[in-house]
Amino acid sequence: MLDDVKGGMKGDGAETLDYHALNAMLNLYDEAGQIRFDADRKAARQYFLQHVNQNTVFFHSLDEKLGYLVDEGYYEAEVLAQYPREFIQRIWDAAFARKFRFPTFLGAFKYYTSYTLKTRDGQRYLERYEDRVVMVALTLARGDQALAMSFMEEIISGRFQPATPTFLNAGKASRGELISCFLLRVEDNMESIGRAINSSLQLSKRGGGVALMLTNIREHGAPIKGIENQSSGVIPVMKLLEDSFSYANQLGARQGAGAVYLNAHHPDILQFLDTKRENADEKIRIKTLSLGVVIPDVTFDLAKKNEDMYLFSPHDVERVYGLPFSDISVTEKYDEMVGDKRIRKKKINARAFFQTLAEIQFESGYPYIMFEDSVNRANPIAGRIAMSNLCSEILQVNEASEFNDDLSYAKMGADISCNLGSLNIAKAMDGGDLGRTVESAIRALTAVSEMSAIESVPSVRKGNDDAHAVGLGQMNLHGFLARERIHYDSAEGVDFTRAYFAAVAFHAIRASNALAREKGATFKGFETSRYADGSFFGKYVDRDWLPETEAVQALFDRMGVALPRRADWAGLRDAVMQDGLYNRNLQAVPPTGSISYINNSTSSIHPIVSKIEIRKEGKIGRVYYPAPFMTNENLGYYRDAYEIGPEAIIDVYAAATEHVDQGLSLTLFFPAEATTRDINRAQIYAWRKGIKTIYYVRLRQTALEGTEVQGCVSCTL
Amino acid sequence: MKDMTARRPIPRAINWNRLQDDKDLEVWNRLTVNFWLPEKVPLSNDVQSWATLRPEERELTIRVFTGLTLLDTIQNSVGAPAMLADAQTPHEEAVLTNIAFMEAVHARSYSSIFSTLCLTREVDEAFRWSEEDPHLQAKARLILDEYGADADPLKRKIASVFLESFLFYSGFYLPMYWSSRAKLTNTADLIRLIIRDEAIHGYYIGYKFQRAAERLPQAERDALKDFAFALMFDLYEIESHYTEELYDGIGLAEDVKAFLHYNANKALQNLGFEALFPPAACEVNPAILAALSPDSENHDFFSGSGSSYVIGKAVATEDEDWDF
Repeated sequence: MLDDVKGGMKGDGAETLDYHALNAMLNLYDEAGQIRFDADRKAARQYFLQHVNQNTVFFHSLDEKLGYLVDEGYYEAEVLAQYPREFIQRIWDAAFARKFRFPTFLGAFKYYTSYTLKTRDGQRYLERYEDRVVMVALTLARGDQALAMSFMEEIISGRFQPATPTFLNAGKASRGELISCFLLRVEDNMESIGRAINSSLQLSKRGGGVALMLTNIREHGAPIKGIENQSSGVIPVMKLLEDSFSYANQLGARQGAGAVYLNAHHPDILQFLDTKRENADEKIRIKTLSLGVVIPDVTFDLAKKNEDMYLFSPHDVERVYGLPFSDISVTEKYDEMVGDKRIRKKKINARAFFQTLAEIQFESGYPYIMFEDSVNRANPIAGRIAMSNLCSEILQVNEASEFNDDLSYAKMGADISCNLGSLNIAKAMDGGDLGRTVESAIRALTAVSEMSAIESVPSVRKGNDDAHAVGLGQMNLHGFLARERIHYDSAEGVDFTRAYFAAVAFHAIRASNALAREKGATFKGFETSRYADGSFFGKYVDRDWLPETEAVQALFDRMGVALPRRADWAGLRDAVMQDGLYNRNLQAVPPTGSISYINNSTSSIHPIVSKIEIRKEGKIGRVYYPAPFMTNENLGYYRDAYEIGPEAIIDVYAAATEHVDQGLSLTLFFPAEATTRDINRAQIYAWRKGIKTIYYVRLRQTALEGTEVQGCVSCTL
Repeated sequence: MKDMTARRPIPRAINWNRLQDDKDLEVWNRLTVNFWLPEKVPLSNDVQSWATLRPEERELTIRVFTGLTLLDTIQNSVGAPAMLADAQTPHEEAVLTNIAFMEAVHARSYSSIFSTLCLTREVDEAFRWSEEDPHLQAKARLILDEYGADADPLKRKIASVFLESFLFYSGFYLPMYWSSRAKLTNTADLIRLIIRDEAIHGYYIGYKFQRAAERLPQAERDALKDFAFALMFDLYEIESHYTEELYDGIGLAEDVKAFLHYNANKALQNLGFEALFPPAACEVNPAILAALSPDSENHDFFSGSGSSYVIGKAVATEDEDWDF
C-alpha cells in the first residue's frame, strides 16, 4: 500500500465539516490506527448546533408549549386532562432535571428524523427527547400519577424502551397504532384469502408488520370443486400480498412490510423458496416480502436417515382430519399421512431440501425458520403454534375464522397482535432493582394492549382482548458484557444470560399475576394452561437458576441485583394457581433496530455486527454507529458476530430461550466463504439446542486484497 | 484451405485445473459469487424519494447515469473484448468475458433506474445530451482510441484501468452523496453493487498490466509510465470540465474533484505507479468515502436486500452432520 495514497480525508479542520462527514469519520481510522470516537461525539454536537436547535420551535414555558400543542391539535388533550396541572409541571421538571444527552450521532439523528413531533409541514421540531418520554409515560399511565412517574423514570433512565410504534405515537393526536406486529391465519378458501389481503392493507396503513400463514392453502395443481389442476397454489397469493404491502404505507412514512410462513411439508415449498432466487422470473420473483419456513422434527429425522420427505396436499389433509393442515402435528401424523391413500403427496430428498434452504439463504438471507415442535413443546398455552411474525420472535396460538359469502364472520377466530418493549440490560442492571423495572415494563406493555382495539381486523381485536399478550424483550447484552470485561462467547457470557433471563421470567410472571389480582381477571384459556396446574413451574422449583461461575455471581452481588430462588418460585407458583395471570404471553426478544440506537444499546442479545456498524434506512440514509461503551482500549471485548461464529451465539440464545415463553430473533452470521453445509450444520445445532426460530442469515464478504477502501473500520481485511 | 487450417493454432480446451496464474481463479471465483441482476434491488422504493429532488437535481442525476451508461457500454462492447486478444492465459480470457458481461449488466441497470423513476421524455433528452456533450464525448473518444485494433496491448490495459478505476467515479459520487442524505438509497445499493464489480475489474486489469510490464526492458517500462501519466493528465483535464459542467449547479464540484484525485491515485496504484495527487488534494468528504464499502451493512426489512448477499457454494451435508 502506498503511503501517499492514504490521504483521502480531513484530519484537521474537523470543525468545519458537517455532521454527516464527522459521523462518517467513525468508519475511517485516524493516522495512528485509532477509531475516532470523538468525531462522532462532535457530529452529535454539531447536529444540535447546526440543525436541531435552529429548527426547534421555542416556547417560554411549559404552559405555553402544552397550550399550543393541544390547541393546534398536535397533542391529545385527553391525555393531559387526566392529570392535575401541578403534577404535569412536576413530571416535566423531573424529566428535564435528568439532563439527557444522546451519546451518539445516530441516536440523535434517528430520534429527530423518525420519532419526535414535527410541525405539519415537517420543517420544525416541536418536541425534545424529554417531551416525548413524558408524553409516552402520561399516555400509558392513564391518569395514575405514581405509575406515570415510574414509567418516566424507567424510560428516561434508559432501563425500559417501548417499541417504535408506542414510543413514536403515544400522546400524539394524529397518529398510528401503538402496536407493531400482527399475525394472521389464512385458510383454504377465497373468502379467507380476500380477508387476509384486506387485513394486510388495513394493518399496513396503520403501521404494522404483518405475517401470514399460507400453510393451509391448497397447492398448485390441486383440484377446485373436484376438478383437477385448477388451483394455482401459494405463489400468486404471495404476489398479491407483496403488491398490497408496497401500496399501503403510513402517509408515506414507511412501506408496509409483510412475511409469509409455509410448512416445509407443503407441496409448493420448493417454488416458495425459489421466489427468492437471484435469477427467478419476474412473474414469480418476490422482492420485499419476507419468507419463513416451518420445520417439524420429523424433517430432521428423515434427513438424518437420508430419506425422502413427503409433502402433503393441505386440501386432502383437511378433508381427512377435519382440521386445517396447520392444526395437526406433521411429526405426529407423518407415518399415518404417508400411508393414507386419500392424501395426495409428492416427495423430495430431505437433505436436498435443507441444502436448497441454505442456498436461498446465501442469496437472499431468507427464509426465516421456525422449529415447530420445539416451539410447541415449550408452549404453556393450550392449542398449536404454526407460524411466527416478521421478526420471528412472536409465538402464540391462534384460531381459524370462518366467513360468509359477504366476507362477514360465520365464526370469528382469534388472530395475534403483540406489542413490544425492551430492557437495556446494562441500564437495568445498573438500576439495581430488576424486579421494579420488569414490573414497570409489563404494566406499560399491558396498558398498550388495553388501549388498542384494531377495529378493522376484528379477529385481531378479539385475540388481543382475550389474551393481553405482550412481549418484553432485551437488548445491549453484548454492550453490557463488554463493559464488564466478559467475552460474549465465554462460559460467563452464557452463565449471565441464563441467570438474568430466569430472573426476568420470574418478575414478568409476578407482575402479570399482580395484574390479574388487581383486575380480577385472567387471560382467556388460563384454566387449560400449564400455568394453572402449576406444571409450568416444575423446572423452577426443582432447582435454582443461579449463576454457576464466580465472576457472574460477583457481578450480580456488586450491582445489588437479587435473584429469585426456588422458594420464591414456589411462592409465585401458588399465587399464580390461585389468582392466575393477566397476560397470556409475556416475553419475546425482538431484533431491536431503531430503538437500540436511540437507547445506546447493542441490538437485542446479538453480538455486534461490526465495531462500527453501518446502518442504512430509507429515512436516514447511511449512518455509522459505534458499539456502546467501546473505547480504543477495550476493543478486545468487541469481537463481532462473524468472528464469534454461529455456535457460540446459539449457546447464548439457548440459555435465554429456556426462560422466554415466546421466541427470540436469532440471526446467524457467516463469512461469504462459508458453504451451504456450514449453514445446515448451524441449523442442526440450533435445533438440537432447543432454539425456537432463526431469523436472518447474514453474510460478510471480505474485500479482495487491493480493492478495499483504505483505512475503513467496518471493512474486514 | 488446407494451408489455412495448418496455420491456425491448435484449438485448446480451457483447463481450470492447470493454472498459470492463481490470480485468474481467485478473481473468477470472486466475480462469479458476486453475480447479480438489477431486478434484485427494489428500486421502486425510491419513487417517493425521487419526487423530493428538485428538477435540476433530477436532470443532473439522469445525466450522470447516462454518462455512466456510455462508459459501461464502451467497456462491454469494445474494451473487454479488445483485451481478449491480449490475454496471457486462457483463464484470463474467461475472466475478461465475465467482465464484459457484467459491464452489460451495469449498462442495463441504469435503464432499470430510468424506467422505474423517470419519464421517457427526460431519459430521451439525457441520451441526446450524452451524444452532444463535448466533455463526455471527448473522454469516450480518448479511451476508444487506445482500444483500437492497432493499439499497444499494454496501453489498452492502462486505458482500461483508467476507465474502471477513475472515469466512473465522477458519476458514482452523486448516488453516494444522495444516499448520505437519505435519498435514493436503493439506487445507491445498486450503484454499490456496480462499484463492487468495478473495483475488482480495475484491480485485475491493473494486475495483469503489472505482470506483463515486469517482463519488459526498463526503457519500455519508462515509456509506458510516461504514456500513462500523459493520458491521465489528458483525462483529468476533460474530467475536470465535465465535473464543473455537471456539479457546479449544486455547488459540489470541488468535493467531486477531491474524489477524482483520490480515485486517480487508486487507478495509478492499480497499475503499480506512484500517486499523482498529494494527500491534501484528496480530502474526500468522509461521508462519500465511507459509503463506498458494502461490508456488513445493517439494514431494516423495508430497505431491500442490500449489497452483501452472494451466490453461495453448495456442499451436501454428510452423515456426520446429522449425528444426533
